[in-house]
Amino acid sequence: MLTIKNLKKSFGSKEVLCGLNLSIPKNSIFGFVGKNGAGKTTTMKIILGLIKADSGTLYVMDKEVVFGQPNINRYIGYLPDVPEFYPYMTAKEYLKFCGEISGMDKKDVSARSNELLELVGLANEHSRIKGFSRGMKQRLGIAQALLNRPKLLICDEPTSALDPIGRKEILDILVTLKKQTTVLFSTHILSDVERICTDVAFLNNGKIAIQGTVTELQNKRDSNEFIIETERKEDLNNLIGAFNNLNLTDKNSLIFNGTEHEFFSFINYIADKKISVQKIERIEPTLESLFIEVTT
Amino acid sequence: MKTLFAFTKKEFFEVRRTGKLLIIMLLFLIFGIMNPATAKIMPVIMDMLAESMTESGVVIKDIEVNAMTSWAQFFKNISTILIIFILLFSDVFTKEYKTGTLQLVLTKGLARHKVVIAKTLSILSFWTIGYIFSFSVTYGYNEYFWDNSIMNNLFSSVVLWWLFGVCVISLIIFFSSFLQNNIAVLLSTGGVIILMYLLNVISKLKPYIPVKLININPLLASTEEIDAYTKAIIVTIIFSIVCIASSIPILNKRQF
Repeated sequence: MLTIKNLKKSFGSKEVLCGLNLSIPKNSIFGFVGKNGAGKTTTMKIILGLIKADSGTLYVMDKEVVFGQPNINRYIGYLPDVPEFYPYMTAKEYLKFCGEISGMDKKDVSARSNELLELVGLANEHSRIKGFSRGMKQRLGIAQALLNRPKLLICDEPTSALDPIGRKEILDILVTLKKQTTVLFSTHILSDVERICTDVAFLNNGKIAIQGTVTELQNKRDSNEFIIETERKEDLNNLIGAFNNLNLTDKNSLIFNGTEHEFFSFINYIADKKISVQKIERIEPTLESLFIEVTT
Repeated sequence: MKTLFAFTKKEFFEVRRTGKLLIIMLLFLIFGIMNPATAKIMPVIMDMLAESMTESGVVIKDIEVNAMTSWAQFFKNISTILIIFILLFSDVFTKEYKTGTLQLVLTKGLARHKVVIAKTLSILSFWTIGYIFSFSVTYGYNEYFWDNSIMNNLFSSVVLWWLFGVCVISLIIFFSSFLQNNIAVLLSTGGVIILMYLLNVISKLKPYIPVKLININPLLASTEEIDAYTKAIIVTIIFSIVCIASSIPILNKRQF
């Protein structure tokens, strides 16, 4: 759906993107993860033709993106991090205007607007946009981005400024779109990625540090960490004295971090000493630990 | 074409919804009425001042007020109206840059040159409509109280002033294509006008400078005829077209 090759962009002396390569499969919900200032927004703006890349090539649906030629934008919907609309319009008027400037058919705009306002829960909102809350603007942002049935939906940190309920609403809407469109979704909230994304890429120092499906990446990092809880508290101290790869957590449990062989001898020790165990559990690998690993 | 029409329609809708239209029409109406009203009350004011002025040695005799007095007010006040108009419209581009509303519109595939054309069309329309409105009000009152036929080259003078307004608007469009805020746009436009006045000092250049268009006293007094303005008219038209046309490639290169 989207292929980026060797994309470079500098602002003054600061190199924001230094040879970014990225490929987004069709019908995926693609999490684009990076720290603040990593270049996520810059990449998205280059795809949208809002800023010019210094070098590199971009293809959307096998068509090359050229700065200043907005034809590709017909296939793309965009939701900025803080969407701003004409405050004197109502949500419906704004969608009508968007339909007109996208060259859509009048009847189609009207039907599609009603359908989308229903989807984002603004169907009964007749007041002007200037009185809208941030969450409402975000929801209208989704509606305007989907109006012309885009093949690619680009969302720039759509959830980072919202309260938990607003966040859930937006994520739920994005999940429902999976069959209709490909979603490129930038964020620094990894739990959102784990919740809705099929694919993910980590951006670090202007390059993609790692890319793959969410499950692939989660499995990439074999966890050798176990959490251990004993019935009696004094056993914990006993274990710490015997093994040096154990750490006490603040919850009266231990974290074991070592090789498989070391873990077996640890289990043997527990059996020999007849220590009553409440729980031994392998700590599931998370995107967070992987992200920290590749970006630090 | 359809998308250009849609964006132009939005510009007009914005002026109406935000109350700017009401402000402009009131401004031009008040201005239109003020000219004959000032002319009408001038003898009364002069009478009131006559006594104190006689004491200081100035003798005021009968003051004759006619259409000329009212039109003199019109051409004196129009500069203030143009400044207020420009202040009201100086942020048509920069406001959209700052809030990011234009950015979203551009991601929908609207070609950037259409933004320039639509905004130019709307500002020029409001300037023209307001100007004609003001002129008609002053003309109507003058016809009622006095007689407009005593005026020489009235219509030519009115059109010259309107053309100067078009020139200032084209400067606003030009500077808006690359500057970030409306104060900078206003200062730059003002700077160019001052430069025009400075160049006007050079007698060789005088007939070519757009500020010649607003020096209409010789035309009203018939000491000069419209031919004397031809060069300045041509320069102004070309200058305005160049300003507007060059803002298109500049906006095309702009990064959002």
